[in-house]
Amino acid sequence: MKRKNKKFQKKGSSSLNKLSLFQKNDGKFSKKCPLSVKNAPIVDYKNISLLKKYVSDNGKIISSKITSVSFGKQKKLTKEIKKAKILGLL
Amino acid sequence: MAFYENTIVAKQDLAEKELNTIKDKYNEVINSSSGKVIKIEQWGLLNLANKIKNYKKGFYIHYKFEGNNKTLNEFKKKVKVDNSIIRHLTVKYKKLDTKNEFFKKDIKEN
Repeated sequence: MKRKNKKFQKKGSSSLNKLSLFQKNDGKFSKKCPLSVKNAPIVDYKNISLLKKYVSDNGKIISSKITSVSFGKQKKLTKEIKKAKILGLL
Repeated sequence: MAFYENTIVAKQDLAEKELNTIKDKYNEVINSSSGKVIKIEQWGLLNLANKIKNYKKGFYIHYKFEGNNKTLNEFKKKVKVDNSIIRHLTVKYKKLDTKNEFFKKDIKEN
């Protein structure tokens, strides 16, 4: 009985943290854009810790279907990521 | 007149004196060609994500300035000839925020 309970907890928590392409989206899926909330982090080519979340391990930009970023913010993200790549920051 | 940001990536094997001369040199270049430097940031020695011209690390210098077409052209001319600079990037902004510094923590650790 104890084991079963643990499994259920893991599924709920881990579905939103990882942003990989091959991950199954089991459980809930938030549809609100994380970058257009109040007090959202600034999208800028100097803010590398933010940009790293939206880039895969191979350096590809992750699509907005998976990250649920709004259309306008996704456009801005791609531009800032490409700037950071020119300087060798990403 | 518009606001610009400019970052320079210099070679890793430079002494501190040479870095300071580079920093002062481009400060003068902007000021002499009808521009005005607002702020200079030094991000220190950072690891490059991938090799650029066989270098793994680089010194980053960041300028925030106000200028026009002349200053940008003058800056480009000087940077292209300079051997000790690997990469550079200029970005135009409507407003500059001088409060946020994303690389300040990294400098303290070094």
